[in-house]
Order: sequence, then C-alpha cells, then structure tokens
Amino acid sequence: MKIVVLVKQVPDTYEDRKLDTAAGLVDRGACEPVLDEINERALEVALRYRDGNKGTEVVLLSMGPEGTASALRKGLSMGADVAVHVLDSALSGADLGRTAAVLAAALRATGFDLVIAGNASTDGGGGVVPAMVAEHLGLPHLTFLDAVEISAGTVAGVRATEHGSLGVHALLPAVISVTERSAEARFPNFKGILKAKKKPLQVLSLAEIGLDPAFAGAGRSAVVTAAERPARTGGTRITDEGTAGEQLADFLASARLI
Amino acid sequence: MTAPTSTKPAPARNRWSRLVWLVPAAILVLAAVVLAAKGLRELPAVQSFLTAYPGESELPHGAPVGFPAWLGWQHFLNSLLILLIIRSGWQVRTTTRPPAYFTRNNTGPIKTRGKPAKISLHLWFHLSLDALWVLNGAVFYVLLFATGQWMRIVPTNWDVFPHAASAALQYASLNWPVENGWANYNSLQVLAYFTTVFIAAPLAIITGLRMSGAWPKDAGRLNRAYPIELARAIHLPVMFYFTAFIIVHITLVLATGALRNLNHMYAARDDTGWAGFAIFAASLAVMTAAWILAKPIFLRPIASLTGKVTR
Repeated sequence: MKIVVLVKQVPDTYEDRKLDTAAGLVDRGACEPVLDEINERALEVALRYRDGNKGTEVVLLSMGPEGTASALRKGLSMGADVAVHVLDSALSGADLGRTAAVLAAALRATGFDLVIAGNASTDGGGGVVPAMVAEHLGLPHLTFLDAVEISAGTVAGVRATEHGSLGVHALLPAVISVTERSAEARFPNFKGILKAKKKPLQVLSLAEIGLDPAFAGAGRSAVVTAAERPARTGGTRITDEGTAGEQLADFLASARLI
Repeated sequence: MTAPTSTKPAPARNRWSRLVWLVPAAILVLAAVVLAAKGLRELPAVQSFLTAYPGESELPHGAPVGFPAWLGWQHFLNSLLILLIIRSGWQVRTTTRPPAYFTRNNTGPIKTRGKPAKISLHLWFHLSLDALWVLNGAVFYVLLFATGQWMRIVPTNWDVFPHAASAALQYASLNWPVENGWANYNSLQVLAYFTTVFIAAPLAIITGLRMSGAWPKDAGRLNRAYPIELARAIHLPVMFYFTAFIIVHITLVLATGALRNLNHMYAARDDTGWAGFAIFAASLAVMTAAWILAKPIFLRPIASLTGKVTR
C-alpha cells in the first residue's frame, strides 16, 4: 500500500509568530520553521500501519518554499520512505484553493492508496485543504478522525461530534484528516536521522506535476491589508473595599457576560 | 494599513560596561589582600604564630599514609557524575521548553502506589545521575571509614583552625604552604574537603530530595517544618559552592606540583612520573565524551528502558 502524508512547514507556535504586514504573508524569518505537529501525528498513523504491514510505502508530500526540505527531512528521519516537495516560484502566496489544486495534481503524479492529512495547520488554521483535495480527486473523505484503522482495502475511523462519536469508514483510495488525538508521534532516533540523509527527496515544479503555472479553475484570494494586533491594554483592577462583589457583577454585566 | 509599531524598550546600557570598573576593582582588591598578607607576615607576633602553627594539623596515630586505588576510582566517578549533575541541574533550571518528557513505568522493581509524575527529560537525567552519585557516595563513605582514610579529611583536633588560618595567610602572601598531600593535607585543605564531603554533599542530597517527586506531598507537619522553598533556596547555592570548589581545587592541584598530585589521586603512587597524568587525561576524555553525548537523541533510548518518553 502507498500512503501519502500531506505535511507543511509552519512557524513554531512556541515563539512569537509574525505577519509581514506589507505583503500580508507569514514572516518566515521571524521564528524557527518546523514540521507542523499535526503532520507528525498524521505521519505516525501511517508509520504504525507500516510497522505491522510490510510492503507499505510512506510518502511525504509538501508544497512550500525552499526551506521546506528541512521539515521533510524531519519526517524522513521519523521513518517515512520518500519525500516529494512541490517547489515553484509561481506558488508564492498561494491560497487554500490553489494549494489544494496543486496538492491534488501532485498526488495524481505520485500515485497513492491513502492520503492522510492533519485536520488543520497551526499557521493558516483553514482546515479545508484535505476536503478540497478529496473533492479535486473525486474520492471519499473522512474528516477529523480521532482514531484510525487502516486495512487492506478500507480505512475506518472515529470522529467526535457534538453529541457523541461517529464511526466512519470508506473504501480505498480515500483521503482522511486526523486530529491531535489520533496518535502520539514518535521521536526520530539516531539511526533514523542518519538514514534520512540518504532517502530520496524529490523536488517537482508545477510543470513536472502537469500544471500550467497560470492554471485556471481556482479563484485566487489575496491579502489586501494586514495590521498587527494592538497590544493588550491593562485590565480593570478591583480592590476590595467591601463592594468588590458588586463591582465584579457590574463589570461582567457591562461586558455582557452575565 | 498601519505601520508596525516598535515595541522594543529603549536600549539598555551595554551589559559589558560594568567591566570597566569591576576588573580594576578586582585587581585592586587582590593587590590589597596580597600586600596586607605580606605586611602581616613581617610582624613578629604573626611570625611566631606561623612557627607555632605551620599549617598542618597532626594526624591521629595510625592514620594511613598514601591513597589506595579505590579512592582513584571513586574520585573519577564522582567527578564525572558531579560534572553532569551540575550541567543537567542547570538545564532543569533554565530550560523553558524541554526536548521531551519522561513518565516512569510503574512496574518492575520500583513500584509506587501513586501514579508517576511526568517530568522533563533533563530532570530525568539529573535524577538518574543523582541516584548514581548517591550510590557512589555511599560506597565512598563505607570505604572511607572502613580503611581509616577518613582521618585524612575529618578534623580531629581544634588546632585545625589556627593551622588553617596560617595556611590561608601563606596562600594570600603568595608564599604558599608546601605540604605533602601523600601524607597529610594542610589544614585549609582538610576543612575544604570536609566541608565538601560531609556538609555540601549531604545538603545537596537532602535539599534535592525535598524538591523531588520522591518526597511525600501530604506529610503536613514535616513539610511545614521543612518547606520546599527552603530547599530551593539552599540547593542552588550549594551548586555554586561545588563549582567554586572544583575551580579552586583543580587550579591548586595543577599549580602545586601537578604530576605528583595527579599521581597521588589517579595512580595511587607518590612519584613524579606521567602515569597519573595519563589516567587523568583519559578521564577528561571520558568526561568530554559524556558531555557531548548527553543529548536528547542519545538519552531518549536510555530513558525508554524504564519509562515512556513523550513530547
């Protein structure tokens, strides 16, 4: 079985992330770029299946700028077999729709039985790319899976709903997205890091995945203005002089919280 | 579009600017101490004091001469462990984002009723080293008292204090005491070694234990009598003491006949050959390797043997 895991390099959430307010894009130099944690979990889901099923190939697929290779190497050191990097200057500032169209084209080029994605990236937080990819490919899509069960011809899983949980399954090929409850990602070990340096990392341009850079069919959204969030103002301090309770109640009422 | 506003505070004064007066002040203080000590040694009263107390307290009858080989091993293991303990302790203190976490498997030889706490990998390393260090220390205590070597580093006579004052004055006047460490330490050494072995080490252990997960959380009266804040306030200064001791110790070992001193501690012999130096150099290589290899990537597999390593 060939499992493709969609991964993305994102700014580390542990640091202060910055937006380039002039361009409206993420300031990638502002903090350390890392492999998104949710992707590590998605990869872990794939690796667990491979651990028990010989002959499974786990492929990482990412679309992103130059530095994305380091995130892919991280995934390779965790145990993925191959990495594919879609790199093209025409993709700078790609929105969700464009990203999904490119990923779908790349998936057609690489081939797959199952596509696993994280439910949402920590930087964009759109959470719709997996669904868009499934739509482009015309495949069944299981979203936000808390638990995944992969078998020879099917994929099944559990997703949480407001009132309980839902058991879902689909025939392969399919696209699924997983939540952070799905799996605890493994650490790359020393052997894995050494081996990762020798694993194939394929870089593909738009032309190589069969897309014209000016491809039609996806309307593009662009950031028109961006502004930094204003610094927080100091809160209201209430000193108890016997009326603190009333003041608190007034404050909550004025903020329409009670 | 709003221009990004700068939130940086006004540039602080150059952090190195204080060196401009700190360095000359330190040199002045040093010069003053040396000159004062030299001046003191000119006084007849001080000279007769130095004659009466040359700097070495006499050892009890039957004290051993020289060092056995086990002391060399103990000393090496101790130095290796304390190096890594100080480093990992500092990492526990300064790391805000640990590289991994460790949860002990509550099966096997160490089984507790409560659930094991999740601790950082740094803390796991620190505690594991601590356990080895305490074990090494226990073996050291037993051998020390079983062989009579304790008499070398435990003062047995009050005259150790005037002797130590004498030795300190000799150091300060840059006319250092010449002792033969194979037979007897000078009294300042005795006090320093005694403090390290019998005060600082137990203090580090008892304060570390208080801060560790092994300490009972619900022992109400005990914990009120010995609050964790007290342990925290003592543990770090003890580390500073150890660090200062190590710096001064190594400096003096190398400055007062390095080959002979290294032979004493590492080769259990009293000559000026290169054997002790060679073993010391090898021990340095081991310490350097341990320092470099003590990284999450190598620690994780070891930690996984007794617990779960997670993010």
